[in-house]
Amino acid sequence: MTTTTTLRPTDLAEVRDAVRDTPGRLAVAGAGTAAGWAGELGAVDAVLDLAGLTGVITHNPGDMTVSAHAGTPLRALTEELAEHGQHVSLDAARIADGATLGGLLATADSGPSSLVYGTLRDLVIGVTVVLADGTVARSGGHVIKNVAGYDLAKLLHGSYGTLGVLAEVVLRLHPVPKRTATLVVDAPLARAAELAARVLEGPFEPVALEWTSDGRLLVRIEGTDEALPARVARLQEVLGAGATTPEGDPWTRHAELTRGAPDAAVLRIGARPSLLPALVSELAPDAATAGLGTGVATVSLPPDAVADAHTRVHAAGGTSQLRSRPVGADAPAWGPPPSALAVLRAVKTALDPDGRFGPGRFSPWM
Amino acid sequence: MTLHGGVRQAFERVLDPADVLSDPVKCRAYECDGLTGYRVCPDLVLLPRDAAQVAAAVRVCHEHKVPFVARGAGTGLSGGALPVADGVVISLARLKRVLEVDPANRRAVVEPGVTNLEITAAAAPHGLYYAPDPSSQQVCTIGGNVAENSGGAHCLKYGFTTNHVLSCEVVLPDGSVVTLGTDTGEQAGPDLRGVFLGSEGTLGITTSITVRLLRTPESVRTLLADFPSVAAAGDVVSDIVAAGIVPAAVEMMDTLAIEAAEEAVHAGYTVGVPAALVVELDGPVEECDAQFEQVKAICEKHGCTRLHIAGSVEERAKIWKGRKAAFAAVGRISPDYFVQDGVVPRTRLAEVLDRIAGMGTDAGLRVANVFHAGDGNLHPLVLYSAAAGETERAERLSGEIAELCVEMGGSLSGEHGIGTDKACSMPKMFSEDDLAVMARVQAAFDPHNLCNPGKVLPTPRLCGERPGKYRAHPLEESGVIERL
Amino acid sequence: MTTPAGSADTNIPQNGPSAFDAHRPPERELLDDCVHCGFCLPTCPTYQLWGEEMDSPRGRIYLMDLASKGEISLDGPFTEHIDACLGCMACVTACPSGVQYDKLLESVRPQVERNVQRDRGDRLFREAIFSLFPYRRRLRAAALPGALYQKLRTIPAVRRLAEKLPGRLAAMESLLPPVSVRAAFAQLPVFTPAVGARRGRVALLSGCVQDVFFHRVNEATVRVLAAEGYDVLVPRDQQCCGALELHAGREETALGRARRTIARFETLDVDTVVTNVAGCGSSMKDYGHLLSDDEAWASRATAFSGRVRDVHEVLAELEPVAPRHPFRGRVAYHDACHLGHAQKVRAQPRAVLRSIPDVELVDLPEAELCCGSAGIYNMVAPEAAGELGVRKAGNVRSVRPDVVVTANPGCLLQIGKYMAADGVPILHPVQLLDASIRGVPVPRT
Repeated sequence: MTTTTTLRPTDLAEVRDAVRDTPGRLAVAGAGTAAGWAGELGAVDAVLDLAGLTGVITHNPGDMTVSAHAGTPLRALTEELAEHGQHVSLDAARIADGATLGGLLATADSGPSSLVYGTLRDLVIGVTVVLADGTVARSGGHVIKNVAGYDLAKLLHGSYGTLGVLAEVVLRLHPVPKRTATLVVDAPLARAAELAARVLEGPFEPVALEWTSDGRLLVRIEGTDEALPARVARLQEVLGAGATTPEGDPWTRHAELTRGAPDAAVLRIGARPSLLPALVSELAPDAATAGLGTGVATVSLPPDAVADAHTRVHAAGGTSQLRSRPVGADAPAWGPPPSALAVLRAVKTALDPDGRFGPGRFSPWM
Repeated sequence: MTLHGGVRQAFERVLDPADVLSDPVKCRAYECDGLTGYRVCPDLVLLPRDAAQVAAAVRVCHEHKVPFVARGAGTGLSGGALPVADGVVISLARLKRVLEVDPANRRAVVEPGVTNLEITAAAAPHGLYYAPDPSSQQVCTIGGNVAENSGGAHCLKYGFTTNHVLSCEVVLPDGSVVTLGTDTGEQAGPDLRGVFLGSEGTLGITTSITVRLLRTPESVRTLLADFPSVAAAGDVVSDIVAAGIVPAAVEMMDTLAIEAAEEAVHAGYTVGVPAALVVELDGPVEECDAQFEQVKAICEKHGCTRLHIAGSVEERAKIWKGRKAAFAAVGRISPDYFVQDGVVPRTRLAEVLDRIAGMGTDAGLRVANVFHAGDGNLHPLVLYSAAAGETERAERLSGEIAELCVEMGGSLSGEHGIGTDKACSMPKMFSEDDLAVMARVQAAFDPHNLCNPGKVLPTPRLCGERPGKYRAHPLEESGVIERL
Repeated sequence: MTTPAGSADTNIPQNGPSAFDAHRPPERELLDDCVHCGFCLPTCPTYQLWGEEMDSPRGRIYLMDLASKGEISLDGPFTEHIDACLGCMACVTACPSGVQYDKLLESVRPQVERNVQRDRGDRLFREAIFSLFPYRRRLRAAALPGALYQKLRTIPAVRRLAEKLPGRLAAMESLLPPVSVRAAFAQLPVFTPAVGARRGRVALLSGCVQDVFFHRVNEATVRVLAAEGYDVLVPRDQQCCGALELHAGREETALGRARRTIARFETLDVDTVVTNVAGCGSSMKDYGHLLSDDEAWASRATAFSGRVRDVHEVLAELEPVAPRHPFRGRVAYHDACHLGHAQKVRAQPRAVLRSIPDVELVDLPEAELCCGSAGIYNMVAPEAAGELGVRKAGNVRSVRPDVVVTANPGCLLQIGKYMAADGVPILHPVQLLDASIRGVPVPRT
C-alpha cells in the first residue's frame, strides 16, 4: 500500500520543482470534473493538484488573445473577459462545474458550438508544459497566426495528462455575440436529422445544431441586434410551425443530458454526421445529445453495453471514448487502437520515457 | 558521394523506371522551391502516380537510409522543399485526384497534389467551398498547405489549414501508412493530426487529406478604402475589432505595394495613396448589411479618402486579384526583392510599421508592405537591386524585420514556415529546451532523420555549432512569461 | 544572422560561358524577371499532363537560366523540354510578374535549331513539314486524294520522309482535313468594296492552311468586313507570313517570309492589315520586335506591325452597321492561344459574337488551357496533343453548346478531330456573324 502525496503548486516554477523533485508516478488534477474519464488511473505516487495554479497572465483586448494558468476555471475566465465583450468560444457542459483550462484541453472536451468554433485544439495558440524530466517547454506563442515550430499544444489536446503537465495556456478569443437565439422543435431523431440537413443546406449559419433524447432539436444562431430577428423568422420557416424560442435556457437541459446519468456509462462518440443518427439509434442510449452538424454525440449506456458500443462506432468509421461511469464499472475506456498507435507510443516514450504521467489513462493502448 | 545504382534500381522496381529521374539536368529543375536563394540538387526525383507508390518509395528510402523531401507545386517561400544532397525528391504533382466530395457531410477527400483552388472548384456545384485561401491558391497544393499549415486572407474569421483538415492518410518515414485524425473534430487520444499539420514535411508524407467544406456565404460585401496614412488604416482595424465585428478578411497594402499590384492587374487601386484597406464581410445577408454599414462608418470616421464598394462578383474578384498578385507583382517595380513573413500582436502594428520604415531608411532600401491586418501578419517586401550590390544589405534588413516581430511578442512566421530559411532564427523565439522538446517529437516520428532533414529546427551544420543565442524574450522581460 | 525570403534573382553564379550563341540569346533581364512563384504551373498544358517541373514555364526558364550561366548544355534534356513546349503562352497571361516567356521562347528556339543536332527522323519530319505547310500551292496539291504519295514526292524533303519514314508521312497526311478540290483551289476577289458608306479600307492576309482548307472562313471574313463598311483588298501574290516557322524556331526562313510579307503589304493604301488567323496575327504583330536589329527593316517592320489587327479587333472597334438576324443557341467560344494569350484579344471576339441577337455566349472550363494544336505540335508530339485534345473536347461538351467557335485553323482542326462524333458545328466566329448578317442558316463546317 502506497501513500499518495498531493502537491499544490501555484506557479510554473513550483510545477517544475514538483515534477522534478517528486519521484515516481504522477497524476495531474484540476477541478476534478473529469477525473473519472478515459482509462482508469493506475497507482500513482503523487497527485499534482493544479487548483491553485490560477489566474490570467496577460490579456490585451485589442489582440483578442489571453494567456492564463492552466488551473484557471474557464468559468472564472469567462467572467473576467466579459467586461471586454470577449470570451473563449467553448461551451462544454462541464464548464459550469468549474472545469479548468488545462483539464478541458487535456480531455479534448467541447460543446455544441464546436460546429462553428471547433474544439479547444482550434482555439489554443500556445502552451507551456512541464515534462516528466522537469523540462519546461513552450510551443506556439501569443499571436493567433503563427507557424513557427511544431504545434505541441495539439499533442496535449486529448492527452489526459499522459505527456506532460500543462502549466500555461494561450487562447484566441472571440467577441461575445451581441445577441443569441435558440429555436426548439419537438422531433424524434430521424425527423430532427432531416430538419438539421435542411438548416445546413441553407444560409442560416447555425452555431449549434443539437438533438437531445428528450426528443427536441435545438438550433442556436448568433448575431447582431439589428439582424437576428429576421434571421430567426427565416429559420422558423424552415423548421416549421412547431419551432419556438422557449422561455429559459434550453441548453441547461442539454448539458445535463451530456453529463449523463450517474448510474450510466457515458460514451462520447464521433462519426460522419450523416451516419450519426442511425448510430445513436442503434445504441439505444438512456440519454443522449447528438450534434447533427458536428457528428459528435454523448450517450448514456449501461456499463455492460460499452464494449459493444465501441465496436459499433468503429464499424461505422467513428471514434469513441468513455467518460464517466459508475464506480467499479467494468467498461473498456477505448475502442480498437488507432492505426497510428506506434507513433503515439513513440511520442509517449520521447516525452515521458519512464511512464511517470497518468498511468492507465490509455490502457490498453499504452 | 551520390546514391549508388542499387538504390536507383530499388526505386525503379517500385515505380515505373520512367518516373525515376536521374538525369542531372532534369534534377536541377527541382533544386529549389519558391525561395530560389537556397539550392541543392537532388540525386533522384521520383514521380509516383498514387499513394501506394509513395509508400513503396518511402520504404525504399527507409531501407537504404536515403533522405527524402516531398514536393508539391514548389511554391513555398521558406525553402521547405529544398532537396537534400544525396537524397531524393518525391514529387506529389501527379497525385491530383479529388477522391470524394461528400456534400451531406460537407467534406472532401483529395490527394496531396490537388491545388487549393481545385478543392473549391470541386465543391462549388454543391454550394460549398474550402475556406483557407493562401494568395497562391491557384497553384499551391493541399499537400503543401498541410505541411505549412497555410493561412490566407480569410483565415481571420475562418482559421488556418489546421482548422479545416479533419484527417490525413500519412506515409510515415518508415514507409508505414497511418491515418491521423478522424472523421469529426472528436478524437481518441492526443491530436497527432494537429502536430503533423504545419510540420513542414518533416514527419511524413500525406497521401490523402479529408478537409471540411463550408457553405458558401449567402452574402459577401467587399470594400476597398484609401487612407491618408497607414496609422489611420490601422485605427480602422482596431475599431472594427473593438466593435465586435469579425470580418472575413482585413488586408492592408501600403503605397509601394499598391503601385505594384495596380501595375500588374489594373484592379482599380488608387496609385499614390499611403494605405489601402480591403475589408470583406460575409454571412447571412441581414448580418452582413448591418455590419457593413458599421464598417463604412468606421472608415469614414478615420478620414478615408475613397471608398470603393465592389458592386459585382467581377469587381470583388478584381480587388482580390490585386491583393493576391501583390507579392509577385513587386517584381515589376524592383529588379529583386525579399518577401518577409512575420507576425506581431495586432495592436502593435502601427509601431512595428514605423520601426520597419525607419530601418528601411537607415538601410537605404525601400520596403513595400502587404499584410493581413486583422491578425498582425506582416509581409514586408524588401526591394533591392542585386546588380547594384544591395543583396547583402537587403537580406540583413529582411532578417532584422523578422526578428523585430519576435521582439514585439510575435512570431518568426505566420504562414510561410520556418523551412531552411529561418531554422537558424528559431533560437530567437524558442529556448534550447523548447527546441529540444520539438526535436524529441520529431524523432518519435522519424528516428533516422530521413524525412526532410534540416528544416524547421536549427542544426549545427546549417547554423554553426551554437546557433544564435537566445535573448530574453520581451514578454519575459515584462513578466508576461517566465523562463526558468 | 540573415533570413532571405523570396528573391527574383536566383543568384546562380556564371560558372562558364553561356551555352547560347551570341545571336539573340535570351536576355538576362527577362530571365531575372521570373521570381519562381509557380503561378504559371496550372495553366501550362505540359505541366498539367506530366506534372514535371522541367515541363513547366518556371522549369523551362530555370533551364534557360542554367544554360545561360554555363551550367548545362543545349542538347539532350534542354532541347527535349523546350521542344515539348506548345508555345501557347498561357503562362504569359498567368504571370503576375510580367515575365515575357514569349520573348524568351522566341530567342531560345532558334538557338536550339542552330546549335543542336536533331536525330535523323526528327530532322526528316520537320523538313517535310516545312516544305509543305507554308506553301499554298503545295497544300492545294496535298488536298487532292493520295497526293502526298504522288505529286508531293517531287518535293525532296517529302520524298526523303516517304522513303525513310513512311509511317510519319501517313500521320501527317491524316491530319490534313478533308476539303473539296473546288474549295481548295478557289480564290478570293482582289478587291471587294464596302457595302454602303465606307468606314475604312483593309487588306486581308489570306493565309496558307486557312486559304486552302478554310477558304469558307476567308470568304465569310471578306463578306462581313464589306458589310460592316470596309473596302477589302486581298493581294493575290501574298505568301506565308512565317508564323509556323517562327514558332518552331526556324528563324532565318521565318524572317525572310516576314520581310516579303511586309514588302507586299506596305505599299497598299490601307488603314489596317487584317488577319483571321490567331497564329498569323501574333507573329505579324511581332515583326517589329523580330526585325529590330535589322537596320534595313526595323522601322518598316515596326510600322507594319502597328497596322496589323485581328479581324475581331477591327469589328469590335466600331458600332456594327449591318443588321443581324438572331441566332438562338448556346455558343461556346474557345480562346485560341495565339489570340487570347499571345495577343490578349479576349473581349473583342466575345463582343462581336454578342452583337448577334439571341446568342447565349458561354465560356469553357479550363479556358486558358491549350487544345493541343499549337502550330506543328500535333504533328511532332501527337500523344500529348491528343491528350489535350480529348481534355478540351470534354470541357467543350460540358457546357452543352449548339455551336463552337474559335479563331484559328489549328484549333478548328484539333477540336474538330476530337469532337467529330458530336455533330456540333465548329466554326470561326466570322462564319457565325456572316450567317447572321446574311440571314442564312449557320453552316455545318
